[in-house]
Amino acid sequence: MTGNIPFLVVGVVFFLGLYAVLFERNMIKMAIGITLVEASANLLLIVLGYRFDGSIPVFTLAGEVKQMVLPTPQALTLTAIVIGLATSALLLSLIMMLYRHYGTLDVREIRRLRG
Amino acid sequence: MNWQIHLPALVLAIPLLGAFAAPLAGLGGKHIRNAWFIFISVVTTVLTMLLWQKVAAGGPAVYVLGGQAWNLTLPSGLTWPIRIVLEVDAFGAFMAVVGGIVALAGAFFSLRFMEKFSGLDKFVSLYFLLVTGMLGMELTGDLFNFFVFLEIASVASFGLVAFWRDRPEAVEASFKYMVISTVAAMMVLIAIGFLYGRYNAVNMAAVGQMLHMGYAEKIALVFLVIALAMKCGTVPMHMWTPDAYTEAPAGVTCLLVGVSQAALYGLFRVCFSLYGASLDSVVVPWTIIVMGVLSMFIGVSMAVIQKEIKRLMAYHSVSQIGYILLGLGVGLLALRDPQAMADYGFTAMKGGIYHIINYTVYKGLLFLTAGALYYAAGSRNLNELGGLARVMPQTTFMFVIAAAAIAGLPPFNGFVSKLLIYESTFAVYPILAVMALVTSVLTLASFVKVFQTAFLGPAKAKFAHVTEAPGSMILGMSILTVVIIGLTLFPTWALSHLVEPAAKALVDQAGYIAAVMGGGL
Amino acid sequence: MWSKVYTGFGFWDVYTWIIFFALAAGLVLWLRSMGRSDYKKGTEQDEIFYGSNEVPEDGEDIQVPASSAYWGFVEALQPYYEKLLQIHTGIANDYVGYLVVTTGILAVLVLI
Repeated sequence: MTGNIPFLVVGVVFFLGLYAVLFERNMIKMAIGITLVEASANLLLIVLGYRFDGSIPVFTLAGEVKQMVLPTPQALTLTAIVIGLATSALLLSLIMMLYRHYGTLDVREIRRLRG
Repeated sequence: MNWQIHLPALVLAIPLLGAFAAPLAGLGGKHIRNAWFIFISVVTTVLTMLLWQKVAAGGPAVYVLGGQAWNLTLPSGLTWPIRIVLEVDAFGAFMAVVGGIVALAGAFFSLRFMEKFSGLDKFVSLYFLLVTGMLGMELTGDLFNFFVFLEIASVASFGLVAFWRDRPEAVEASFKYMVISTVAAMMVLIAIGFLYGRYNAVNMAAVGQMLHMGYAEKIALVFLVIALAMKCGTVPMHMWTPDAYTEAPAGVTCLLVGVSQAALYGLFRVCFSLYGASLDSVVVPWTIIVMGVLSMFIGVSMAVIQKEIKRLMAYHSVSQIGYILLGLGVGLLALRDPQAMADYGFTAMKGGIYHIINYTVYKGLLFLTAGALYYAAGSRNLNELGGLARVMPQTTFMFVIAAAAIAGLPPFNGFVSKLLIYESTFAVYPILAVMALVTSVLTLASFVKVFQTAFLGPAKAKFAHVTEAPGSMILGMSILTVVIIGLTLFPTWALSHLVEPAAKALVDQAGYIAAVMGGGL
Repeated sequence: MWSKVYTGFGFWDVYTWIIFFALAAGLVLWLRSMGRSDYKKGTEQDEIFYGSNEVPEDGEDIQVPASSAYWGFVEALQPYYEKLLQIHTGIANDYVGYLVVTTGILAVLVLI
């Protein structure tokens, strides 16, 4: 059971982030929610690679190691973190421009395109 | 012949080079930047056609990125592939050709359309990044690589939709598109994480070979289907489509149509080649069919009441995606039963796949004509436009061809693909064909409205200064017109050489897997 | 004849249709050529018929705007359109909401 706690944390963080995107009116809080969802996805990838009692997946000066943690999900997560960085930066700049144009950060006021 | 084995990698590398060298080309002034823009676009389109020819002649093309040899998918001693493998079968090559054509048309159109914007070397960079993302989604054989290219295309398109940053609506459209698109992309990543966790592989062929359904695979399938359906603009996740397609510059909207097709490609690759034979329940095919029917009907009924020309066309985009989903959903439904596949399933798939190329070309042309109207007359509001057919004869001619094609009027190509879809879905449930026919009639109705209000009618005094669109814009539009007329006049060639190999490749999951797993020295 | 597309249930032939359209176009052109060309251009004989009223100078005043196209259709389907326009709110939260709800429904259907 204790081995499953990381996966439960992933689920909790994902739903917290999703709640923030769905029900928050402030755009900055929606952006934070998106960052939480990204964090949960990255955490899932890292946790999938963990092997019990594994050491870091480095061969140099490793010495006697029986089991190493998988390195592939770590590479996948690095890529996903960089992608998350790009989307967060763009999202925050768009929110800044929207504030300059509309004067409000309330997403329910920013509805000129509807119908 | 020797360099042609590197074609899959070249098709991705050339636009990427174009993207990163565009600011350098921009240092040389407007003409050098435009020349670079056109040069890279033409080279990319030619390379996609050469790739299609190679795959049509020699079967699925495989390319290992960074491996010792270009086709060493399984190095000695290993039973599954370890590097990123690009796998192009007939369906992928077909989608790449479609994407290349529409990217070229959008590039020619954007030369003059964008001239009053600043920061154009960044526009060229973002445009080529979007082309790279789209082609990467269509050529890759690796799930995580598909996610990376999906995000490259998405982020480039966020920037391009918001390109006219002085307009508040454009920034608003980009923000809304970005929120839903990022959530969907994270769902794709979580699904890929589930599949990786179960099978310790991200290569599509490897996972496809080892897959057997359990709870994790079912949840991964649900996440992948819904997230990729959202990227195409399927009801009920379609609401970003009118906003983003309206506010993007017209050449970019033409390319965004191609990008949504790349996401559709991903959806069907997952359903047919990844899950394929393991899909034991009918829930997912029926969901795709129901979403297709809803998209068709809601898309077109929202389109009839719109006042802004590009928003109307974007709602039609939602509706046409419904046709493709309907056709391919019926094919997916018939996948387990060979008798059903021979009866109506394969025809439905051919109709759906032929509709992909038809829809991309005529929808791209429609967005470009709307852009030409906006460039010439300065307005997108149908209440204000009128009587422009006298002064813009070429634009009118191309609009009529595109509108007749989208409405499914004989003899155009839209009619052929819609006929195949009507007849095959009638065999599943007659109500599906009835909905498709009603949608076709309403499509014709809304395009008659656009044609009558924007082009026909008396000449207005405030449009006395309007002239025809510039030559490069006409050239961009005529590329698409030539493709439409070509597909109209030679439907048998298109069906037997373009569409049927693609449909066969999609159904043939074992061939897809064997191209990678059976490879190696 | 030349290239037929055989669906499972029938066939479609492009060139038959093109010949049909060519014949129809020929008929239309012949009918147009039966008109009289001895009218005086630029006077009252050249104007459109506007219900025997004065024809306005600017085309803007006689054009039916696009918003009133298909008025009857929209009026007849008013309950459907009201509901549909209510759904398309334009709020970003609702966009993601529909995505999540659809995922939930499909997950429930697939997992049972």
